[in-house]
Amino acid sequence: MSTLVQILSPDFLLRDALVGSVLVGVVCPLVGAYFVLRRMIFLGVALPQLSAAGIAFSFVGYRLAVGAHEHGNVSERELAMLGSFAFTLGGLLVLTAFERRGRETVEARIGVTYAIAAALTILFLAVDPHGDAEMVNLLKGDILATTRTSLTLLAYVLGAVVLVLFAFRKEFLLVSFDRDLAVVFGKRAALWDGLLYLLIGITISLGVMTAGPLVTFGFLVVPPLTARLVTRRMLSFSLVAAAIGGAAAFGGFYCAYRMDLPLGPAEVALASLMLIAVGAASMIRQGVARLRAP
Amino acid sequence: MSTPALALDDVTLGYDGRAVLKGVTLAVEQGEFCALLGPNGAGKTTLLRGMLGLLPVLAGRIEYGFDRRTSPPGYVPQRESLDPIFPLTVLEVVLMGTFARLRPLQPAGRRQHRLAAECLAQVGLDAIAKQPFWALSGGQKERILIARALAAEPRLLLLDEPTAGVDPGATVAIMDVITRLNRERGLTVVLVSHQLRIVRQVVRSVIWVDDGGAVKGTAEELLSPEHIADVFGAVAARG
Repeated sequence: MSTLVQILSPDFLLRDALVGSVLVGVVCPLVGAYFVLRRMIFLGVALPQLSAAGIAFSFVGYRLAVGAHEHGNVSERELAMLGSFAFTLGGLLVLTAFERRGRETVEARIGVTYAIAAALTILFLAVDPHGDAEMVNLLKGDILATTRTSLTLLAYVLGAVVLVLFAFRKEFLLVSFDRDLAVVFGKRAALWDGLLYLLIGITISLGVMTAGPLVTFGFLVVPPLTARLVTRRMLSFSLVAAAIGGAAAFGGFYCAYRMDLPLGPAEVALASLMLIAVGAASMIRQGVARLRAP
Repeated sequence: MSTPALALDDVTLGYDGRAVLKGVTLAVEQGEFCALLGPNGAGKTTLLRGMLGLLPVLAGRIEYGFDRRTSPPGYVPQRESLDPIFPLTVLEVVLMGTFARLRPLQPAGRRQHRLAAECLAQVGLDAIAKQPFWALSGGQKERILIARALAAEPRLLLLDEPTAGVDPGATVAIMDVITRLNRERGLTVVLVSHQLRIVRQVVRSVIWVDDGGAVKGTAEELLSPEHIADVFGAVAARG
């Protein structure tokens, strides 16, 4: 109880990290809901890894184009953000463009993308002699290192993502559920797809920068899968997924702080436990309903 | 004579630049109930998708007797094309039809909810508005998709095999709904089907798709035992 009081107190030392964690936990599932519904879950693994490769590449690219970077002469976070966003969005656009040409090898393409991205991340880090601990932290997404400035940026950008997601949710639903109908209605399906991918790219870039690829993937996929088991409507599905993500982020932070565990894995493990518990309860409920059926 | 609801003038349709149907010239009149028939793989769905604007016209022209931007056609897809992973209630599915006339940032309000409820009543399923869409039977889902198409307030309704894979009772219910919409509301209907026996009882005209082309004629003419026997063999002609 005292740990909880400590965490919730306004002058808690890691307050920014806690808020950042919960923000990522709430917003990633809102975007991830579309990953699950559009059956793009594997993209949720490949894109955060591409984002990480983009972060590593930005430093190598800077060194090759401009020269060695020292702390202070270039903002590492801005560089990393640029690389992360460019790789994520670029990869997303290429993969979805190929997806339209045939679904039969989509898993293979995503698998290859993941393998390439993971290899490139390590190679880029090895090539840059300035690939110091701070860069490695950026790649891991060291959420405990969240500063007030980065938290403010995170809050504004993710806030804007949420606003756009809710403002255009009927368009996103229509192009996701029945793209043909959207075209028949004269809606610009490609434009709405593009906007959704942009929101996905932004969220993943920021998520990886803040919390790392593992946490980003975990929160993109696990809370929506849990919410899918207990909701019947689109709006409640999104809201419950966000609530589960936020709760898992907060609970994971609490467990990590209390038991001195690594934060990201603790959050994802808790979200996964929630999925297992809800899944088991759902199976039991269905079994009981089947037994009671005449 | 009024403008046709849909007119195709020397139309070529296909995929990736390859023509599947060539030189299709026909018109569907306002208030007509027309079946789109033909052997498997002849190009029925290609023609329907062309009529809907889902396939680019490779040559020729398709004209509508109404403004497509303000009054898009009603479309009932094959229900298998929709993914059951989406958590949707019956009302949410029908409300999607009202999105046709809503601008971005304009939410579905009271008018749209009232319209969706009316469309559900027209297909006789207003009592199940809050039920999950995927829990329904195949026949009920088809009627819900018809209600969704009606919620777009269309002047032309195009349906892709609405009775495929549903039991005989549900088939009768679906055809009854479509026939009523045509007779009572004067809605122009184009229906893709494989079930000649059922279609024969309700349509007045037929678009026959075969051999890379399509012709339109009366149901008596194109569904005559001689024509059917010619295409499918004697067994089908007796059906």
